[in-house]
Amino acid sequence: MTDTTPETSGPNPSHSTTEMVRQSLARRNRKQVVLQGFGVAAIAFALSMLVILVGSLVTSGYPALTQTHVALEVFVDPEEVDPDNLPGGGYDEMLAASLGSYFPDVDMSDRASARTVTKILSNGAQLQLREQVIETPSLIGETITITVPAADNYDQLNKGLIQRATPEENRRLNDAEIARFDTLDAAGAISTPLNTALITSADSRFPELAGLKGAIIGSFWALLTCFLISFPIGIGAAIYLEEFAPKNRLSDIIEININNLAAVPSVVFGLLALAVFLGWFGMPRSAPLVGGMTLALMTLPTIIIATRAALKAVPPSIREAALGVGASKQQVVFHHVLPLAMPGILTGTIIGLAQALGETAPLLLIGMNAFITSAPTGPFDSATALPTQIFIWADSPERGFVSRTSAAILVLLTFLITMNAIAIYLRQKFERKW
Amino acid sequence: MNDMRKIEREARMTDTKITARNVNVFYGETHAIKDVDVDIADKTVTAFIGPSGCGKSTFLRCLNRMNDTIDICQVTGDIRLDGTDINAASVDPVQLRAQIGMVFQKPNPFPKSIYDNVAYGPKIHGLARTKADMDEIVERSLRRGAIWDEVKDRLDQPGTGLSGGQQQRLCIARAVATEPEVLLMDEPCSALDPIATAQVEELIDELRQEYSVVIVTHSMQQAARVSQKTAFFHLGNLVEYNDTGLIFSNPNDERTESYITGRIG
Repeated sequence: MTDTTPETSGPNPSHSTTEMVRQSLARRNRKQVVLQGFGVAAIAFALSMLVILVGSLVTSGYPALTQTHVALEVFVDPEEVDPDNLPGGGYDEMLAASLGSYFPDVDMSDRASARTVTKILSNGAQLQLREQVIETPSLIGETITITVPAADNYDQLNKGLIQRATPEENRRLNDAEIARFDTLDAAGAISTPLNTALITSADSRFPELAGLKGAIIGSFWALLTCFLISFPIGIGAAIYLEEFAPKNRLSDIIEININNLAAVPSVVFGLLALAVFLGWFGMPRSAPLVGGMTLALMTLPTIIIATRAALKAVPPSIREAALGVGASKQQVVFHHVLPLAMPGILTGTIIGLAQALGETAPLLLIGMNAFITSAPTGPFDSATALPTQIFIWADSPERGFVSRTSAAILVLLTFLITMNAIAIYLRQKFERKW
Repeated sequence: MNDMRKIEREARMTDTKITARNVNVFYGETHAIKDVDVDIADKTVTAFIGPSGCGKSTFLRCLNRMNDTIDICQVTGDIRLDGTDINAASVDPVQLRAQIGMVFQKPNPFPKSIYDNVAYGPKIHGLARTKADMDEIVERSLRRGAIWDEVKDRLDQPGTGLSGGQQQRLCIARAVATEPEVLLMDEPCSALDPIATAQVEELIDELRQEYSVVIVTHSMQQAARVSQKTAFFHLGNLVEYNDTGLIFSNPNDERTESYITGRIG
């Protein structure tokens, strides 16, 4: 075949076919190589973008994973605390006295000069001490060791985000303030443990105290509401449309509208929820319940479409088999089709919920971006959600929120990846062969 | 053209299970079955043969109203099971399908255990009161399906894990588990190898003792082997219906002759 040459191929039709195929083959192969090249380039581009995104999040977010703390020996002064009015005690003064022992040159009785020292500590320090004393009043008169968060600027200094090399006038901390911090550090009072407050605290104005607990719980209630509403309604609608509804003009129109709903921008659903849920029905603002209902509106079309696709994918032979032994239509659907479609339905649902978890715009419109410093105790309490919390933090001017925003995004991404992993696991576990 | 033979047939048929008169089937605009008259005898194997697309499967599906599930399919005419019009408004297709079992071209066991495959029909119809009753039905059905010995030790294994021939016999066992009066088989052996085919054919012959069996087949040899009556369909018409021996040895119509000698089809 390879010895075929144009001279000999002329009169013989089979030879000329071979030659033509050989020539076109080279062209076809070239096209395939080019196509594959484009494919590899596209994937490489997408991957590099992903690496840049995650890389920048991790590099800017990792400082938020630790928090600078100051360990203090505090004498719980009986003169400052009235056992009958524990919350009203002078906890500030006790902390100042304790801190003052490191700085004999500072006159702690003068409020202004004492402030230059105590501002090393976070505003949350006195609250922490107060809570501890309220919990165990027997501490009055004792000397206790307490580890409290350092204020944001000192935290930044400790993590190297405020650089000593910067000229003093451009620095957020002057040389004297840095020297005081170094004194504490030299005395071994400074530690940098894991920042568990990021998960266990609710929001705060002070970055060193702010955490995601309220947002995580808010997101949980919102997603639970969203699931409880959209899953049964979505599956019910899909089963009716796919298995029972007559195929006519009306069902075509409904189908087109559902597909269109899936493409409606989420902010529109937010406006709808604002007008209907809050406006007409007077439901509470900022409540995860309302957030979940709004997200359910968005998730419904996704679940309906995924469920219909999963129902369609069940082979007709199974339906015929069940009909053949005398099962009614409803028995065919619930005994055979639905169980076989379940993995696909669950996958679609989890992907829809993951989408809902990351949704910001509709929650902003119903007020789930409020500043709330306590975690919600139920679906009716005001709360934020993870994406809106990120939105709030990204908007905050304090330096400490820069790294916390990135850390919060990483937390959100972790939840999303986990949900998608569950979806993949469920699909593989329940996938059946027929 | 068929009139003379129809009268002759009716005179000879005694124990008729299903009578069909003037059956027409339309798929949208397509006229798939044209004025078919047929009488199916009890405790007999009746074979429907004919080239692909001739309407034999479509006609078979009229007999248990499986065509109801296809939106665009429209059936007219009179089909009677023991004298009752099966298309009457008073007849529930679910009831009808419990009386007329069906085995499909491709083995289609449910993705459940072998036991549950067979027990499903009796369960939804409430045929067994106790677990022991159900066990008995399952065993009897699997024995009738000639597969009991092969699966009795693994009834909890999935039915889809069996070989193709075993799956088809499981489907036959499933179909007979509801104690139907008629068994419809739509090319039951087309997906099977010769050994499995032989097993199923042997089984069909045994089933004839209790049921009226209607089998659609592409294989003329199979029709000749298993059936007592043969109907030849061509382009939606029932061309000829007679004793199998006569159809294959002395066909009346030249189209039948052309088909069985391999000139059309």
